[in-house]
Parts: sequence; C-alpha cells; structure tokens
Amino acid sequence: MNWSAFWLSLQVAAVATVCIISIGLPLALWLARTNFPGQTILETILMLPLILPPSVVGYYLLLALGRGSPLVEWFHIRLLFSWPAAVVAAVVVGLPLMIQSSRAALANVDPRLEQAARTLGAGELRILMQITLPLARRGIIAGIVLGAARALGEFGATLMVTGNIPGRTQTLPIAIYDAVQAQRYQDANLMVLVMTAIAFVGLWWVRRLERSPEAVTPLSEVLQNDQEATAIVR
Amino acid sequence: MTRKQPQLYVDIRRRFPHLTLAIQLQVGAEILVLFGPSGAGKTQTLQAIAGLMTPDEGQIILDQTIFFQRRPGLPSINLPPRRRRVGYVFQHYALFPHMTALENVAFPTGNDAQGRRQAYELLERMNLAHLAHRKPHELSGGQQQRVAIARALATESPILLLDEAFSALDQPVRDQLHADLRTLQAERGLVVIYVTHNLDDAFAVGQRIAILREGQIEQIGTLDAVCRFPANTRVARMLGLSNMIKGQVVAVELNRLWLDWNGVRIEATCPSPAPTVGSQVTAFVRSEEIRLVYPDRPLTRFVDHNLLSGRIVERRPGRRLYHIWVEVGTTMIEIAHPYTAYTGLDTSIGQVVQIGFRPESVVIIPEAGRLITTQQPVAQPISEYRR
Repeated sequence: MNWSAFWLSLQVAAVATVCIISIGLPLALWLARTNFPGQTILETILMLPLILPPSVVGYYLLLALGRGSPLVEWFHIRLLFSWPAAVVAAVVVGLPLMIQSSRAALANVDPRLEQAARTLGAGELRILMQITLPLARRGIIAGIVLGAARALGEFGATLMVTGNIPGRTQTLPIAIYDAVQAQRYQDANLMVLVMTAIAFVGLWWVRRLERSPEAVTPLSEVLQNDQEATAIVR
Repeated sequence: MTRKQPQLYVDIRRRFPHLTLAIQLQVGAEILVLFGPSGAGKTQTLQAIAGLMTPDEGQIILDQTIFFQRRPGLPSINLPPRRRRVGYVFQHYALFPHMTALENVAFPTGNDAQGRRQAYELLERMNLAHLAHRKPHELSGGQQQRVAIARALATESPILLLDEAFSALDQPVRDQLHADLRTLQAERGLVVIYVTHNLDDAFAVGQRIAILREGQIEQIGTLDAVCRFPANTRVARMLGLSNMIKGQVVAVELNRLWLDWNGVRIEATCPSPAPTVGSQVTAFVRSEEIRLVYPDRPLTRFVDHNLLSGRIVERRPGRRLYHIWVEVGTTMIEIAHPYTAYTGLDTSIGQVVQIGFRPESVVIIPEAGRLITTQQPVAQPISEYRR
C-alpha cells in the first residue's frame, strides 16, 4: 500500500470536491432557472468530459495550463506537474456529474412552492436557503458524492497533466498503474480493494438517498383521500 | 376584534396571447366569489393581487397601501409579493413538504418562540393542534388545506385569496371547510376572494359573486341579485338556468309583461327598465319552479297564469330533484321536481301533460350586454351593483 499516494488522492479529491460544489451548484441553479439561446450548447460542452477519452481531456488541459496559455503568460501560474493540476483534472471530470444531478433536482422543485413562499413574505435568498435547496438536497448530495468519487478515481487526464512523480503527484489510481507495470501485484491488490470500497460506499449511499421513504413527494402524489379529515373536524 | 373594515380596490388590465384581462373589483370585508370557466382569468386576477403577476396598467389598493399602480400621470408602484404578504391558498395546498405543519404555519411568523406560539394558536383555531408535528405527506388533503389556510392567516393580512382551494377535496370535507371559511371571515373581518369554476362551491360560500368570462366581469352582485336578474344570457347559462325562451313583448302593464312565444302568451313580472312593446327579449323559466298540473284538481295560484301543454320525452333522477323533459311545440322544457311529488300523476315517457308556472318564475334578460362596462378604466371606484 502506497500511503503517500493514498493521502495525496484524498487531498486532491477533497479540494476538487470543494471546487465542484462552489462552481457546480450556482451553475446548476442558473441552468435550471433560466433559458437563454445557446443553453443546450453550453450544457453539451459541460457534459463532454463524461464521454471524451481521458487523453483528449488531458490534452485540452495541457493546452489550458501549459506554456502559451493565458494562465501562464498573464498570471504566471504554473500548475503542470504539481498536485493542483490533478485537482483541475478532477474538477473537470467531476463537474458534469454534479451539474447533471443537482440541475435535475433543482428543476424538479415545484415553482408554486416558491411562489407560496413569496406571498408569505420571504425574500429570494430565504426561499433559496429554506425551500429550494432543502427540497433539492437529495439530488445535490448525490451529485456531490458522484462528483467526489469521480474526482478520487480520475486517472487518464491526471496522468497527462501531473506526470507520475512518486510522493509529489502520484495519486492512488496512478500508483495502481505503476504497481501493475512493476508487477507488484500485492501492492496493487490492496490499493484496488481500497478504491473499490470507497466507490461502493459512495454509490450505495447515493442509491439509499434516492430510495429513502422520506423522499420528497411530488405534489400530485400528495393528493390523497380525506376520510380522516372528516373525522377530525368534528 | 375591532378593526377598520378593510377595502380592496382592483382595477387592472393585462394582455395575454389568448386573453385580455380587464378586471374591476371593490371588495370589503366579505366573501366574494370569482366564478367562471377555466381560462376566464380568475387565477390571474388573484396572482395580480398577490403580486405574482404584473398587470400592464391599473391600480391595486388595499386601504391606504398602494400594491400596484401604473397609470398615466401617476407614479409607478409595484410592491413585490413579500411586501404585500397577502394570504394565498393554492389548489394543491403548496405546503412545504420538508417542514412539519407547525413549521409551515410558522414560515411567515418566524421560527422563534413567539412565532411558533402564534403558529400553534392558528393550528389550534383550525382544529389541527394535535397534528402540528406531522409532515404534509402524513396528512389528508383536507387537513393539508387547513394547514395551508392557517399558514395564509399567519401573514396577518386582511386579504385571503383562495384559488380553487377546495376543488380537490371530497364533498363532506369541502362542506366543512366552506362553513369554516365563512366563520373565519366573520371572525376576522377578512377580505376573502374565492375563485372557483364550481357553481355549488360558489353558492356554498359566496356573499357576492363576480362572473368572469374571457377576462372580463360579466356581472357582479349579491348571489341573490345575480340569480334573480342575470345581466345577459351568458350569465344566465353560466348560472345553470335552463329553459330559454325568446319572444316578443306584446303588452306591458304596471309590473306585468306579456310575451308572445311561438304563438303562446307568457305572463312575466316586468323588469326595470321595462322593455318596449314589440321588442324581442330572451327569458328563462327556472326548471324547479315549473309545476305539472293535475287535470282533475283546481288550479293553484302557482299555475293559473302560464298554462302550457306538452309531451314528456325524457325523465331522469337527479342529485336533489327529479328531472322531466317536456316537449312544448318544438321547444324542450326541463322541469325539476321533488322526488315524492306527482306520485298520483302518470309521468311516463309519451304522456301528454299540462305544465304551469308563475309570472315571477320568468327571468327576463335585459337587452344591453354587460351591466358593468369594463372597456374603459374608471377613475372612481365602482359602486356596488344595485338593482
């Protein structure tokens, strides 16, 4: 077991998750609430990293972070072959999952509930914090978990932008690749087991969230019969 | 609770792709029913009052507070919904599903100790205190709507708007809520506007009724006045009046009027202003006020004026009354009678019977269309329609 790779992976995934939430949630809210020309194109571009080969994503990232990019030329920020580059790669591949899941959840919140809140004297920020986000929380949490799991497991693009420097940029997936190349199968077995366990727990949690009996019922399903009520009013 | 009687004044216009809304209303502490078919603009009117929809022009004023104003020469005002804070009850309750009943009601009052106590008192008032900690999905539809009403009252607004609020509920629950609503209105002196497309609901709660059609008010007045004197044939049809007859006025005398209807003389009470002799008028005869005449008994005062003869072509039991259709000449006349009436009379299909009705049962429709013209905005609040 390569502990430095394990801790580096956690560090990268944690920072990436924070970025995924802070970029993904406002973006999802915006996409769920507005309609503008070219929205479909933007959404498609945001989804692209899900299906593009990791090497293609990695190549784009090399262009975006490498010599000649605005980041380097204007701001003199050099990320390539350091762990923050792994964070960038993880964010790019994790964001689509976060956006997709939370956007759907936010769009599903009944606008009448927000209207009701408005007539009850609530401002837009209060509506967001007390009505919209709580009602969409399952989809948002699912998106965060999926995005974080994807960030933790990122391999291809990461390899291209960080290289494979043990102790500095070698994340767990890269360490597994390394171990297999060097035929250190015992090492690889353990790390594969750890990755599988983390992924399993994450996905299991998401499934449980979706199936929870306490899940918010859509208004149409709320309509039930009223026999009970007649008994109560007397 | 003594409070100055609230007054809500609404005069708005708004163009939609398929509808031009032009509504004028003045509502005091009362229950006003907005009645009309779907698409008539009832919900839009409520939304405009609550601030969920912005009219193109007009004024919405509650007492001294201008909710909305867009008029040439006057400063534009458009308070956002949260500053109008009117009680709004939606058809499907729109309770917050992730909050308990108490938290829902405490949403406008604030979730501190005082707000929660106030919310609890409102739940007690709605007989729901024992369910305060249930979530909406653990409540029946009727209970949910009570929570929604309590939540709307918690805004402490003198206005309570109900948008088809009870239409998803079963009849017994609905009856109970109608009774509660009438009590609440009287208790708190609320301005209640109750939107429905259901005539029974309109009669169950309303004191005054505004009949909407295609974005405009066809007639507004007390239920009694509107039923007695429908402004036009559309209103009469919407109120479910059947037995339309068209005839020519042949004589007018004091408070009596005679019509020639396909050669039959019909006596009616004369509306004011009286139609001129020779003019064509439309009239309705209430189906439940038409009697069958026993051939072997003396005529009662109910039937000694308009006696007609016809053949029974259909009969069907109704919810409250039994219905018989009689063909008089070429016109079908509907008669509704109590289940146990006419047991000594053969009312099977094909029988020829005599029918009669009092002159008071004939409702003459004025020729001029709307009683209140809503084409032009009026400067002064309109006064209540009086007959």
